[in-house]
Amino acid sequence: MNKYSFSSYVLIGRGDACILILWLHPTFNYFLLYDGSKVKEEGDPTRAGICYFYPEETPLEQQELLCGQLAGVSRCVAELSTSPVRLLRLRRSKFAVRMREQFLWALSSSVDVPDVSICEFLDQLISLFCFYNGPVRQSYQLHSRADLSAHWAKYLSHLQGGSTELHHIFSCLQTIDATKIDPLLLLKAALILQACQRCPLVLAGCILYRGRIVSTQMPPSLTLKVMVHETETYNQEHRPPANERSTFSTGGQSSTMTTPVFLNPSEVQALHSAGELCCFFSTSRSHCSPQPDPRARKSRLLSRTLSDTPFSEQDLTNSSPSASCQTMPCSHRSSLSDESCFSPSPGSSQDSAHFAATHQSEDSSHADSESHDYKLSNGITLSEVNGDSKEAVFGDKEETMIKTIIGSVEEGNSLTNGHHLTLEDEKDQNHEDHERHLHRPVKEERLDVGRRVLGDSPEKMWREENRTCGEEIDSELLPMVLYEHRVRALVLALLVEPQFPTDRTAPEEVYHSSLASLNGLEVHLRTSSSGAPGPPGPYSFAHYDCIQNTLTTNLSGRLPGPQDRSFVRATALLHSHFSHTYSAQEAIIRSAGAAVYGTRSAAQETFFLQHAATARNSGIPNPLDSAFALPNKARHRLLKHGVNLL
Amino acid sequence: MKCLLVASESAEVLFYWTDPEFELSAQEQYGASQEDGERPPAFEDSINTLFAPIIISCSTMVDQLGDSYTSFSTENNHIYVLHQFDECLYIAVNGDGEESEDDLKRKIYVLKKLTEMLFGMVTLSSTLLRKELRPQDTELRCRVWRKLQGLLETYSRLRDHDQSFLVEAVERLIHPTLCEQCIEFLERRLVQQINTSVDRAGEEVQHAFILVHTKLLAFYSSRNASTLTSSDLLALIILVQHFYPSTTDPEESTPEDMDSASAPEIFYTPEPSPTDNDSGSERVEPDKPPVFQFVDPDIQVAVDSLQTLEVPPQDPSTPSRVFLETTLKEGFFPMMPHSMYCLPMWPGITLVLLTKIPNSQIAMSIYNFLEGFTKLEKRLAEGQQGSPASRGQLPVNELRSKIDKFIRVLGSSDIQAPFLQSVWAEFKNRAFSRGGSGLSKELLPWCRNMKIQLCAIYRQCYVAEGSSRQRLSTALQDRALTMVQDKLMDWKEFLLVKSKRNITMVSYPLTYLEEFPGLVHFIYIDRSAGQMIAPSLSITERATSELGKGPLAHFIKAKVWSLVGIARRYLQKGYTTVTLRDGDYFFCYFLWFENETGFKLDVVEIPSLPDDSAPIGMLACDYYRKLLRYYSKCQPSEVVKCYELLTVHLGVIPTEYILQHCSQLARKLWEPSRIPLL
Repeated sequence: MNKYSFSSYVLIGRGDACILILWLHPTFNYFLLYDGSKVKEEGDPTRAGICYFYPEETPLEQQELLCGQLAGVSRCVAELSTSPVRLLRLRRSKFAVRMREQFLWALSSSVDVPDVSICEFLDQLISLFCFYNGPVRQSYQLHSRADLSAHWAKYLSHLQGGSTELHHIFSCLQTIDATKIDPLLLLKAALILQACQRCPLVLAGCILYRGRIVSTQMPPSLTLKVMVHETETYNQEHRPPANERSTFSTGGQSSTMTTPVFLNPSEVQALHSAGELCCFFSTSRSHCSPQPDPRARKSRLLSRTLSDTPFSEQDLTNSSPSASCQTMPCSHRSSLSDESCFSPSPGSSQDSAHFAATHQSEDSSHADSESHDYKLSNGITLSEVNGDSKEAVFGDKEETMIKTIIGSVEEGNSLTNGHHLTLEDEKDQNHEDHERHLHRPVKEERLDVGRRVLGDSPEKMWREENRTCGEEIDSELLPMVLYEHRVRALVLALLVEPQFPTDRTAPEEVYHSSLASLNGLEVHLRTSSSGAPGPPGPYSFAHYDCIQNTLTTNLSGRLPGPQDRSFVRATALLHSHFSHTYSAQEAIIRSAGAAVYGTRSAAQETFFLQHAATARNSGIPNPLDSAFALPNKARHRLLKHGVNLL
Repeated sequence: MKCLLVASESAEVLFYWTDPEFELSAQEQYGASQEDGERPPAFEDSINTLFAPIIISCSTMVDQLGDSYTSFSTENNHIYVLHQFDECLYIAVNGDGEESEDDLKRKIYVLKKLTEMLFGMVTLSSTLLRKELRPQDTELRCRVWRKLQGLLETYSRLRDHDQSFLVEAVERLIHPTLCEQCIEFLERRLVQQINTSVDRAGEEVQHAFILVHTKLLAFYSSRNASTLTSSDLLALIILVQHFYPSTTDPEESTPEDMDSASAPEIFYTPEPSPTDNDSGSERVEPDKPPVFQFVDPDIQVAVDSLQTLEVPPQDPSTPSRVFLETTLKEGFFPMMPHSMYCLPMWPGITLVLLTKIPNSQIAMSIYNFLEGFTKLEKRLAEGQQGSPASRGQLPVNELRSKIDKFIRVLGSSDIQAPFLQSVWAEFKNRAFSRGGSGLSKELLPWCRNMKIQLCAIYRQCYVAEGSSRQRLSTALQDRALTMVQDKLMDWKEFLLVKSKRNITMVSYPLTYLEEFPGLVHFIYIDRSAGQMIAPSLSITERATSELGKGPLAHFIKAKVWSLVGIARRYLQKGYTTVTLRDGDYFFCYFLWFENETGFKLDVVEIPSLPDDSAPIGMLACDYYRKLLRYYSKCQPSEVVKCYELLTVHLGVIPTEYILQHCSQLARKLWEPSRIPLL
């Protein structure tokens, strides 16, 4: 009978708060993989179809109940709609669902997790499995259920682990806090990766430090997959995992290993086209015939980073031979000299002296380099970096390359090379041609990504998404190898062609050429990342980069207060709103307790809340209301975090 | 691709409604599993088979996990929304992207509301409701289903085209002088005359109102009547629109880009003759509710045997039995029987009379008994097996004597209640005699049984065939109609135009375009009164609205519709202010509270409701009433009023100006909404 009371809602309201607190360490309620092909006849027990069930300690009866009901209802709905089910919602939980062939995956979470996020998680989970194990059907034919269950458990714990609820809303990658470290290190990391790419067997790579990205050349989805293995091995210290193929040179703190992995064709294609892009950087790639003189390759191709010229020796001598000799006393430019450019602390006295010298000379050359005076967030102008070296060492082409990289560093602390965004075209009349080559593919890619993010219509985007995941499950996966080189907490992870581990020279070359640079980088990161976080300021913000799938926020690392919780709640709502409504650009939403401003573009989403005792207001439209001043405040406050909302 | 069905726990379809696309696709699917040459089964059977696994899985989940499905969505964006009311499972499906999850949920709640209005407290017993929704008699079933299907279609049409059904608040015709005259006329002349007439057969007019299309011209309630809630008034308007759909308006035509727009779905309609350039051939005959017109031979085959049965037309003077919420001095009664007389004055203008029926006293008693048994059940379930001396004893004894008296009264009137008598005797035997179980858990099934019997009496009195034999005489009805027709004769044309262009952006006294440059549209809602004001958005081929015509006007209409959805979504989560820059437009939404003198009250934290809560609105499940009650707890000393304002501006206008506009608008609109209902 119609008894109207709000008391139950108040209770539910309180319940929400509880769920949110739990959600700080979000747990997936259930995850299951069910193989319908095993349960066909009337008499077949449901348990025969359960490939994996999380939590594993769930009583078998309950496992059977859930699997049976979900599989049954999903099949019925799929038949009615002639399309696989994507999401099943219950009153107290929701299941993201994938149906492919006879398999059914379902991942459940609390109702507070946005739909887009839980679906994204499930797709990540499935693609992680395929990345390390290959096609699902085949894996279950080749390996025992127990083994594969261990894998699922590992991927699940990886996706749940560590990060904050905000990271879960956006299901984004964890990067190192770029504002706390010297941007030069980011540059150096990028250059190490580029250097590795000169080996034709290397497709792309990324550098991770303590489970966070320092630099990556891969699209976010791939980086995420690579990170799982890294985190796992980092946790296990040096215990090699079961499916590891080979480990060589495990001396001291440095070790490498290779793991077979599987990529879908579109990923491989993306990497190949990115690789071609790199060819523009390194014309020398053409010199890199399958069997060149190993020594020559080593010195020319793999050991250089910032001071390195990617072009042939001839080019280099033509451009500025004397200068080159001047700054680089070591004629063969070993990795040692490379390191000396970056690390003032360790290394020989000679290196320190050299470092000092470069520093001195930069003052004089500073005036010449102002045309590329890239201000970085910590106040260092990047022209200091390329100051003398540009004049002295780099040919014009290298300059362009540096600029590209700098551009990527500047652009919202972007860390990727292959996927960076250059918002303004760099105009360099001297090298227009070269630049065109250089930027064209990048821009096209960017457009492509933009299209994917923006979408012409929700349906299209949805289809697009489905295609990507469907492809993962359906299509032929191509075997590749993941090469990892660990220096303490620092890892260089490269995706390489399958023949890389057996290649006569490639593994050794990549190893030796990057070893010293990695050591140097590790020392720097170790010393610089120890700094305590600054005061968070009287506001909360989250800045999500949709293209690189990264998040910048001042929320992590402090105990969430009530304001933070309202911020996270509003952010989750706004994020799901933005992901449905493609024309929405900015929004302010206000409850009695908090007003949150959200703005988004094709490339980013930013959310902002000003901490303040909310002035009492009636909610009636009032131009003087403080909530409407939020956009200005956000613009102002976030500038110092490197977020430009103009 | 739309479908809505109600199923019992035993997976029997109690009611279904589908659009032709869904029916066709379901037939194809079902046909695939059929052998060639075999005649396809009745559609009712195939839909039963198709949905059975879902229905069964639902009850398994409830039984075994204590959780139930609320929605499914598929990769091609089909949406299924499920909701369980007591033992009936409602499933709404959309596969064409025209309805959101919220729309489907709303549709389910509206169907629930409509069944409550048609069947009253019979809906409280699933056993009886099942019989009512799916009578054994095919002809009767056909009639019931037709009626509900028609009501659902009417609702969908109104929700898609009428702003008042979009925001679920009644729109009034803004003409204070005429409005007052009409109210006076209804009070002094019409209602008084009917209620003093000898031909009224014991009925008493409690409410009388005049509708011009969906807009309210005048509303009068007699002094001793309970107020009519907004929810009921909106549902009654759906009913009136179902009987006399206003698609017959000559201005209403179907432009090409408004494909799904007007109500009846017509397939393979022959091209209109070249001279007939306004799509007149697609007009529906005046007094015919929109029904499917199957022309395609493939679909023709699919026509269910049920649909080929012709429903005999009802006597137009027969009133409809409706069950409305009343609050009397005796207490609150959610579903009191009334008779509704719907008298069409001219196409588009209708006089509606709501009468109290003579034996409604029985409904009040039954409601009290049902309440009593529910309380008793709760106590028994909690295990308070008190001794006769416990304080719980008194209400039971009181209940006992009242029911005894009730049965005696029934016996003296000509209402047959043998089952009630026998069940009650058995109940008394078990509960109060020495050899019985006393007031213990064993009594629970008997409580349930008593409730069913009480509902059965209610059904017998108010719902069953022939229960509405008594009525105002036809002559009296005619006289009433003529009276009001005479009164409004000179205003007829004006009213019809006014209903299309109630307030316009250029109309006096609010010249919106001059005062608020950049303002595209607004909706102002007084939630305490359940009324709204908005410039007309009627998009017709001939009459251009302020928005012009063609794609832009449709685009803005679509924007307004989607923005209402967005505002509701945030309100559900406790946000009372939303501003949104969306494409080239800027959208604002505000909800606030005032006291009676217009003093603005402070905002309070509004509860954030879970996703599966009832839809935000007034028609099906009055959210705003709950909200007002919730707020009143914080401001116990004052009468609290709740207002909402939605605006759409051009995006190029600076935000400061937009906010200024909003605040000025809120101040200006405060007055016109004060036209009293009475």
